[in-house]
Amino acid sequence: MRLILASLLFALPAAAQAQAIVTSAGPETSSVTVYRDPDRGEGGISASFPTGFALITETRRINLPAGESIVRFEGVADGMIAVSAVITGLPGGVAQKNRDARLLSPAALLDGSLGNRVHLRRTSRATGKITDQDAIIRSGPDGAVVLQTSEGVEALRCSGIPESLSYDSVPAGLAARPTLSVTTVSPSATSALVTLTYLSTGFDWSANYVAKVAKNGRTLDLFAWLTVTNGNASGFADAQLMAVAGRVNKESDYDSLIENAPSSSLNLQCWPMATTSTDSPPPPPPPMRAPMMMADMSEIVVTAQRRNESLAAAPVMKMAKQEELGDLKLYRVPMLVDVNAHGQKQVALLQKTAVPFHLYYAAKLWPLDPSDESQPMTKTLRMQNRANAGLGLPLPSGGVALFEQAEAESLLLANSDMRDHAIGEDAEIDAGRSAQVRIRHVGVAGKDGTIQSFRIEVTNALDKPAPVEVQLSRPDGYSLVGPSRKLGEKDGAWLWAQTVPANGKAEFTYRLKEEDR
Amino acid sequence: MKFAANMLSCIMLALPAAALAQDSPSAQGDVSVTIYNNNLALVQDVRTLPIARGVNRIEFPDVSAQIRPETVSFAADGTAIVEQNFDFDLLSPSKLMEKAVGQVVTIVRTNPATGAETREQAKVLAVNGGTVLQIGNRIEVLRDDGLPVRVVFDKVPPNLRPRPTLSVTVESSQAGSRPASLRYLTPGLGWSADYVALFDAKAGRIDVQGWITLTNSTGTTYANARTLLVAGEVGGSTQNYGSPYGRPRSPGPLRKAGTETADRERLGDFYLYPLAARTTIADRQTKQVSFLDVQGVPAKAGYEYRNDWLNSSETPQSFSSVVKFSTSGNGGLGDALPAGTVRFYMKDASGAPQFIGENAVGHTPMGSELVLATGEAFDVKVQPVVEKREKLGEYRWRTTMRYDISNAKPEAVNVDLTQAGLDWVNSDTRIVSESQPSKRRNSDSTVWAVAVPANGRTTVNAVFDTRY
Repeated sequence: MRLILASLLFALPAAAQAQAIVTSAGPETSSVTVYRDPDRGEGGISASFPTGFALITETRRINLPAGESIVRFEGVADGMIAVSAVITGLPGGVAQKNRDARLLSPAALLDGSLGNRVHLRRTSRATGKITDQDAIIRSGPDGAVVLQTSEGVEALRCSGIPESLSYDSVPAGLAARPTLSVTTVSPSATSALVTLTYLSTGFDWSANYVAKVAKNGRTLDLFAWLTVTNGNASGFADAQLMAVAGRVNKESDYDSLIENAPSSSLNLQCWPMATTSTDSPPPPPPPMRAPMMMADMSEIVVTAQRRNESLAAAPVMKMAKQEELGDLKLYRVPMLVDVNAHGQKQVALLQKTAVPFHLYYAAKLWPLDPSDESQPMTKTLRMQNRANAGLGLPLPSGGVALFEQAEAESLLLANSDMRDHAIGEDAEIDAGRSAQVRIRHVGVAGKDGTIQSFRIEVTNALDKPAPVEVQLSRPDGYSLVGPSRKLGEKDGAWLWAQTVPANGKAEFTYRLKEEDR
Repeated sequence: MKFAANMLSCIMLALPAAALAQDSPSAQGDVSVTIYNNNLALVQDVRTLPIARGVNRIEFPDVSAQIRPETVSFAADGTAIVEQNFDFDLLSPSKLMEKAVGQVVTIVRTNPATGAETREQAKVLAVNGGTVLQIGNRIEVLRDDGLPVRVVFDKVPPNLRPRPTLSVTVESSQAGSRPASLRYLTPGLGWSADYVALFDAKAGRIDVQGWITLTNSTGTTYANARTLLVAGEVGGSTQNYGSPYGRPRSPGPLRKAGTETADRERLGDFYLYPLAARTTIADRQTKQVSFLDVQGVPAKAGYEYRNDWLNSSETPQSFSSVVKFSTSGNGGLGDALPAGTVRFYMKDASGAPQFIGENAVGHTPMGSELVLATGEAFDVKVQPVVEKREKLGEYRWRTTMRYDISNAKPEAVNVDLTQAGLDWVNSDTRIVSESQPSKRRNSDSTVWAVAVPANGRTTVNAVFDTRY
């Protein structure tokens, strides 16, 4: 008995030829470094359709036989960009890397069985009797199935009788999921710790700032979340999570690098089926059910509730650690976390309390084109990103939610975006339009009816003084003469800065002189 | 023994894995594939075929599903070609029924209550929207009542095929098996290079691995093929060398074209990359084979910014982080580089390599100087500002520019700041004054090499006279 078994077992490797197939089911450790979509704007991210990418590094323990073997890596992210895969730690190196995208599907099964014998099974609706017969597939999978049986030639599922095909074996080279495999020649049988590194689409991250203006109105508490989204069907348990701030160059279209499998759906069509009562084609199949997600989303119920507690959140235990990575900024989450499939995760990114800021009202005008309309000015918070001004750390771009404490409640003042700010820059938060501080730009006519001079009026309906900064772009070929106040300069534009008294007004007048040389 | 039988059945269950390895034998013979970069390949397939004396029609299954049939050439000893055909009338139920018009088919009715079958002969009168049959002397529409009816045809009509089929009709002067060679062009096979570059900025070194990436989307597997990759695009395209009104282009990654010849196989002007062993290129497969592995090549980090016009920026703009290296045999990679994507990695604080950006290189001769931008520097920025634009005459302007450069890194950096747009709409631009000398790269652009102190700022001022 034992002899029979042994001989059978020995016979098997011969069938599998010289190459042994080693399957690595999953990683031992993994690390995920998430990069922003470089072509996305400054704001937050879409949880359902992340457009950035990630670098995934996994270590896997692989038992290699001596000689040539094919190592198959399973459980990788479905957004894997196979051409970016780097494998180190194989004692024999990597001779070849392959990514196969031919998947086992109804259409592939049919296509792979062309010209081969399959089994046709018919079930009688009346009696339940099953008849089985052999058939040979004569057509490709594109149109529909034409079969040759001992009775003649027939088309599959055109008769109205329940019919189905069964196959003896799976055609070669079809996998359940796209698979990366490498060929390696190992000098001896060994257990190797292999590192697999690859880029994958379907990730994104963003900073999400929560700025809380203190009661004194002069400082704010700045807190930021590191928000990471994984849109892949694969999760990474106990992973080292990192995020990279800054803009990396991306040349190739990552979506096109993911080799797609040929259409896997089998589309059966029969001959024309119109009858005397319907002169139109047969009705289309019932529409697909709406995706589950839609159904889930419609069930979200929003309940209005007055919050009594302030937004003072629970204290933060763990904060991401910032490192330098060349000219980029790397944020390392200080503990191992689960990066779940189709999930979003938030970890504290940075926190600074009592950051002094300057509040002012801003507007940008084109000096030649007065609009004569009273318009709201933009409330802006300016912080200096310096250690001696309460900040002094890189601020990666992201969304900003600005809150102000009013009585016992936190009120959302503004919801805006912020770009990347290096240390030493002025960081500005757009805090929304103010209906109380308004600007009007008027052209003043002279005796001949043409515009002689310009007047800018700022009105303040608040019971406290409002600092305003009005930028006037420089028009080519004109010089500004006779300003009613001395002008500054900001970002290449003229700057009128003044504090408008509480419940008061301020005015600025100027003329433009065309250079006629 | 019963136990043994159980064990056997266990082993039988395990067998489908072995069955996977069995393939329906391909009709392909000795296959060689030559692949160009522009999604084009030349396939040569030498099959041993029995050819009878006289006129033979030879079908070739298992050629590329995307074959360009007009490029097929056939050669076998003692044969002369009569004609070549590429037939793509595909077999489907509709075609089967249409070709049966005027012919007699068997219809099998199934009684829905009893399951009893009755057979009748029917003549297909027409297939227009529905199928009209003559059964005896009645005229019926097939399955007008919706009840089950099987239609059995006698045979598959000729010239209907499961897949597009190439056939060659030859006149043979002798009988016997002999090698027959088939050559054709097909799209769907292409290749490019992918480079993995590990950059150590402190040591000023780079390790580069080069991979040939081959993709097959032809719909066909090429079994055990000899594979040759040609670094070049063949035919079809004309190079655009610039047009009379075109704007001077910013320099690409190739800053100095090399003049060295790499020690590799060549065909005319093309470098060839043969794969060492025969390989199977499966359908829908991306295959990568290593062709370059160089350690410790000198490389330098740098910063570049190009201001395209004499204009202001509302916010500070990041410099591009660049990596500079040479492909020379002397202090460089020492090879010609086929076109592809270079992905840069750098070690983080824990020593793990992290991705820092990628860029594309064209076919690059050996001895070239490359400057590849990896991304934008978080900490090194410039804000160009127009301080003044004065009108000097009807078409003459004087522009005073200021460039505020900031460096938030704890070490000093050297940046290359380029002002372009000096010779397009503005012609004969002259630099009246500048705070430090620049190098006029060409009539359109000038470059300042600026040293920026650690955690510091510096300013470049310049005045331009332009005609407009």
